Amino acid sequence: MAGKLKQIAIYGKGGIGKSTTTSNLSAALSVMGFKVMQFGCDPKSDSTNTLRAGQYIPTVLDTLRERSSVKASDVIHEGFNGIYCVESGGPAPGVGCAGRGIITAVELFKQQKVFEELDLDFVIYDVLGDVVCGGFAMPIREGIAEHVFTVSSSDFMSIYASNNLFKGIKKYSNSGGALLGGVIANSINAGYSRDIIDDFVSRTKTRVVEYIPRSITVTQSELKGKTTVEAAPDSAQAKIYLRLAEKIAVHEVSETPSPLEVHELQGWAAEWSDQILALESGVVSGGVKAGI
Amino acid sequence: MTFVERPRSACALAGALSAISALPGVIPIVHTSMGCGGNLSGMNSFGAGYWGAGYCGGGSIPTSAITETEIVFGGNERLREEIESTLELIDGQLYVVVTGCMTEMIGDDTRGVTNDFTDDGKPVIALSTPSFKGDSYSGYEILLNGIFNGYLQKTEKKNPKLINVFGIIPAYDPFFRGDLEEIARLIRGLGLEANTFFTPDQTFENVKSAPSAALNIVFSRVWGTAFAGEFEKRHGTPYWVTDLPVGPEATDAFLTELAERAKVPKRRVKAVIDRENEIYYGYFERTADVFCDSDFKYYAVTVTNSNYAIPLARYAQNELGWVVLDAFVTDLLHDHQKDTLLSAFGESGIDEAGLLFETDTSAIARSITRRRPENRGERYFDAYSPLFILGSSLEKVTAQKRGAAQLSVSFPAFNRMIVDRGYAGYRGGLHLFEDIVGSLVFPKG
Repeated sequence: MAGKLKQIAIYGKGGIGKSTTTSNLSAALSVMGFKVMQFGCDPKSDSTNTLRAGQYIPTVLDTLRERSSVKASDVIHEGFNGIYCVESGGPAPGVGCAGRGIITAVELFKQQKVFEELDLDFVIYDVLGDVVCGGFAMPIREGIAEHVFTVSSSDFMSIYASNNLFKGIKKYSNSGGALLGGVIANSINAGYSRDIIDDFVSRTKTRVVEYIPRSITVTQSELKGKTTVEAAPDSAQAKIYLRLAEKIAVHEVSETPSPLEVHELQGWAAEWSDQILALESGVVSGGVKAGI
Repeated sequence: MTFVERPRSACALAGALSAISALPGVIPIVHTSMGCGGNLSGMNSFGAGYWGAGYCGGGSIPTSAITETEIVFGGNERLREEIESTLELIDGQLYVVVTGCMTEMIGDDTRGVTNDFTDDGKPVIALSTPSFKGDSYSGYEILLNGIFNGYLQKTEKKNPKLINVFGIIPAYDPFFRGDLEEIARLIRGLGLEANTFFTPDQTFENVKSAPSAALNIVFSRVWGTAFAGEFEKRHGTPYWVTDLPVGPEATDAFLTELAERAKVPKRRVKAVIDRENEIYYGYFERTADVFCDSDFKYYAVTVTNSNYAIPLARYAQNELGWVVLDAFVTDLLHDHQKDTLLSAFGESGIDEAGLLFETDTSAIARSITRRRPENRGERYFDAYSPLFILGSSLEKVTAQKRGAAQLSVSFPAFNRMIVDRGYAGYRGGLHLFEDIVGSLVFPKG
């Protein structure tokens, strides 16, 4: 064990590449020699698929449904390079309380002191996008994760979800909750998308940890049921994930973000809308004149 | 932040359970976490003069008793199982699933489950009664709505003599049985028929006959009035909101108005009133010596729910000749409910008293002391003494501190046993007189 256990929670809007980024981060940290556990906190239970050749694993809650008590070791499954994979799971869509399910699953691990016994360096929680209720805030509450990173693209709805998460972090920041390590900017290709995300982090008093471009390599790897770090270790994209992992490995101090109020966020988005239109208007008007 | 200290009501589930437990043939199935059903029944019994659990009440209430597994995965299947067992083991004519907070928070489809039980001749309905929907008083309303406006079918056949009695709330009006019995006796005395639903003489047939009634009487200015409005829309039965009559003066007026509404000949109602007064004063006059010679003239403070506030204050003033200082109303009311009650209180002819809304026992004690200060050695002092507090068992300490007499007449009344005693009507007026004067001639300390 390299040192003290570091617990990290990764949040972000659904479909933004959160599980892809988390799995690649876990894979990269593992390749760097750390002992890693990835804990999927989403009823869909597909966070760790690419660490296990596309295979679903029995979830904590599925096991708990069948038995009154569960040993954590029963629901830990080894994945790529010895990464410990856990999925909290949840109820069938439309019934029960998924949020409570996350709490139950995380508490079970905490009570059984699994992290200490496995001598882990990193536990990475991959949490369902919007913090819809207290259950999904569990990993950022006192005594669980210390650092939160949010995966966001430059799309407004993704930034909106990140801003909501910042509100959640701020709320728990006074009671020993996790603080914000920064934003992992995903799918950053267009020139202005980097500017948008840079502007957002500066306004909310945080930072971008890494810029990750959209890449066909990721898609190809996922279709093979693997992370990019595993499937294409020498690719440029894998190097970016390794760089992200290096930064997170040495990351020590997280801070309380300053989320924007809704009207501020809308005003900010409207400004960017005007700027983007101005950037592209030449092309658009030229296209119209030439083509039609 | 406001909070309720020493509460005089519990959650909507508690109110629904107290009402179900008094309804013959109706079986509760509680869909919530362990403990709710039994504990709430215990409180209902304790606060209503040891009313008891009854058939399929208290610890025998069927409950889904959900645990964390059902919270996470949903409790529908556990409920289904519990309903199946209940139908198999417990005789009843209507099974009512009432919910608690947990299953409502996770959004269990309770109605979806009960809908599957409609075909086998044992009707099961589902009502939503979590605490965040309201307190026990609203639980009573939810139950009434669910059974009378939800479950019962419309009927074209009307019985012009039949009257349904609502608004007197099981447990939270601790004398509900005695009060209902006396009201029914008075109604029947006019040649009419009465459904009281919640008394031991009733059967499920009374519940089923409710839609054919010609009139609903709601003895509450706030609880059950909206329900009665819905009842009228569904079943076409008009309703009359009035105060519970306590003592001869109020009961004479009640019978006179009831006779008008139910088209009873004046001659008949006069004969009933005359006869009842003859009996009432036949008893009362023999008490006059002790009452007058002992100078039982008191200032009165009432501490009751909204149903009893006006009837008791009026009784103390008009029948005993006492000066009512304050009438505290202890149930949690919305502003529009307070306005309704204030306006009824204004019209009730109570001279001195103010109607005060206060839920907290210590705040009531403070308020009595602040508004009617004790003598601290002043030479000239308007003493407001002797003082009589007609309240709940919680007012006992206040009364002791203040040197006042006290009688428990409102929820929670746990320092007395209540069986068929009631304070409504003529007989109730005598009972109340007995209890008040009895507590003065033989105080229990």
